[in-house]
Amino acid sequence: MGHTATGKRTAVAARIAALAVALMLLVPTSAFALTTNKATARPNEDGGSSVIGGLPTRLTWEGSVEDGEEVTEVTLTLPEGSSFDGSTTKVTVLEGLSRASIDSEVAASGSMLTVSFAEPATSGLLLRLEVEGMHFPDDGGDVVVSGTYVNQAGTQTLTDSKPIKTIANTSLQKMIASLDANPVVAAWNSNPFLGMFFKPQLLVTAFSTLVPGWLLCLVIVVVAYPFAIILGLIFALMKISKSRLLRAIAILYINILRGTPLFLQIYIMFFGLPMMNINIDNNVLGVIVIAINASAYLAEIFRAGIQSIPQGQYEAASSLGMSYFQTMFDIILPQTIRRVIPTVTSDFITSYKDTSLLSSVGVMELMMFAKNLTSVSGNMTPYVAAAIFYLIVTLPLIKAVGIVEERIANSERGGGPRPKDKGAKDMSVAEAEAKLSELAVHASALDDEHAFVPSLSPMNASFGTEV
Amino acid sequence: MSTITRRSFIGSMSASALGLMLSACGGAGSSDTTEAEAIPTDYTLVQEGKLIVASDLDFPPLDSFEGGEAQGFDVDLSYAIGEKLGLEVEYLPPMDFDSIIPLIKNGGKADIGNSAFSITEERKEEIDFTDAYLDSNLGIAVKKDLGISGGEAAIVSALNASDMTVAVQAGTTGEAWVRENLPEANIVPLASVTVCMTGVSTGQYQAFCADLPVIGHQCSVSFTDCTIALEIPTGEQYGIVVSKDNPGLTAAINAALAQIESDGTMAELKKKWFGTE
Repeated sequence: MGHTATGKRTAVAARIAALAVALMLLVPTSAFALTTNKATARPNEDGGSSVIGGLPTRLTWEGSVEDGEEVTEVTLTLPEGSSFDGSTTKVTVLEGLSRASIDSEVAASGSMLTVSFAEPATSGLLLRLEVEGMHFPDDGGDVVVSGTYVNQAGTQTLTDSKPIKTIANTSLQKMIASLDANPVVAAWNSNPFLGMFFKPQLLVTAFSTLVPGWLLCLVIVVVAYPFAIILGLIFALMKISKSRLLRAIAILYINILRGTPLFLQIYIMFFGLPMMNINIDNNVLGVIVIAINASAYLAEIFRAGIQSIPQGQYEAASSLGMSYFQTMFDIILPQTIRRVIPTVTSDFITSYKDTSLLSSVGVMELMMFAKNLTSVSGNMTPYVAAAIFYLIVTLPLIKAVGIVEERIANSERGGGPRPKDKGAKDMSVAEAEAKLSELAVHASALDDEHAFVPSLSPMNASFGTEV
Repeated sequence: MSTITRRSFIGSMSASALGLMLSACGGAGSSDTTEAEAIPTDYTLVQEGKLIVASDLDFPPLDSFEGGEAQGFDVDLSYAIGEKLGLEVEYLPPMDFDSIIPLIKNGGKADIGNSAFSITEERKEEIDFTDAYLDSNLGIAVKKDLGISGGEAAIVSALNASDMTVAVQAGTTGEAWVRENLPEANIVPLASVTVCMTGVSTGQYQAFCADLPVIGHQCSVSFTDCTIALEIPTGEQYGIVVSKDNPGLTAAINAALAQIESDGTMAELKKKWFGTE
């Protein structure tokens, strides 16, 4: 009997204990709770915005102490594979926006980190833990920060944080890691100049991350340029027109745009237009600014090109009864185009480089990506990588301009391709022979003529000696 | 005193507050704890007798450049430090914020960088910080009619979208916060606060994240069509940037800061620039 009584008693005690545990688990979530506000991690992907597992980063955890609670200890737990080893933790306790001075001690081991406060953190305080140099599991995945805390009633469970997205190490990052470990690279980087401008790790990163910016540059200038050509042509024709008003407008347009920095024009367009309630997408606005700016330069190029066509061409056209527009579009402009191709290509190169200025207002073009990478790494190498991206386009164009210029120069001094004698090509051999014999007859006739004036020959001879 | 362990005792030696406690104990023999101790002078300067300061001077009310002169809380603090050290203070022309730490690190141009630098572990790898002289937080400015409101979580989730463009000043803690908390947004690092705010005001960018005192100043003085959407309690603290090769100067400035704090100058400056002590 006694035995069963004890058995019953233990059973009851166990039930009460279980109830107590259940209550303890329930109570903290309702009555008091150290609310987890957020947990975030600093992106540690070079040139990217991802958090990569297995590489050092910084975890920031924030929790608020709720009413009636006194927190003396907080323990953060991360999933298996994470590590707080070797990390340093900055504990900030805030009351509203002011710092509260509560001393704390941090103990980190494996995937657990415990912060104990010298005096209890009371209600309304914000606890902010920044753990520098920790890392997440190598395989990546969504990481939830869980843990416990100690208040006056004992150990409580922390509410889980929203998951932090982490990814497994990328092949790019592995490549960078192998460069990091390479002694030759280390020696290279130890030279301040090489390390600052040609750091191999950053070149690798930049080449893979700058591509979207480079493509945007190309798209902007390629889309802008046809508009620039049309606008430029219109203003060129206006500038050489007989109407004084049209000339004045064209001169104003060309001189203002050529006489002010593009930088300024960008600021005016990007900040001025929205103030007049004209809202245009940034990339489209970029195209517009580049097109307008280039059009002023092109107008001058076209004007010079048109005016370089000899007056005789106009006279010839008008003698054929051509109107002004017929003369322009059928006679003058086709000749102008050939002459301005090298200059227009040079201007295209300039416009392409000028897209870099759009970075100052936040168009996500090449320089913007480079600037982003530089501001994160504190190193100039991304700019060098950007320079290479510019050169990929500009060098072939510069070469092309050279070739075209040479050809034009050749043709102008008479060395260019000649129009083929269409008649000669179509003749059959028989016809050619007939023609030849005809020529021979003609020649002998000429000889005969000479015979009539024999006195000419000595004269010719004497001229020859005189010269 | 028995509760003070050896470690915390040594730890708090560095804190100026303990000077009083030690003198109360009476047993402290070491001379560098006495209050009116001369400021150490074993430091090197770019120019003899001059304290040359680098700042972006584009961060009112902390640093600004008005009428060709450096002004602001930090500027007054630099002059106060110069006075304590017996040095003439000279400000370099305004420069980009993210170029100041490289400048101090490479040396030869300026002795200190004083431009509302929050003390961070990352920056500590490059340069030394003096003791903290001011507490700060971050804030997010948006245009009043943007129509996002709520707590931190609501605003973060509204801004953390690919159609949102957030301006930051390059190299600031505001930039770091945005990169960590708004990874989906387009992040635009720009050189100056004014450009960032103009962009927000004109709708180019939806938000601008920077130090709260500055955001507050911009929204109340220059860009009244903008408002502080979110105050972010980060509890960061400003320190003055000194080259790692010049620990003597860091020590001297720390001693000067302690005096500036204890003789009431700091309270005066805070009152002058922030209206509160």
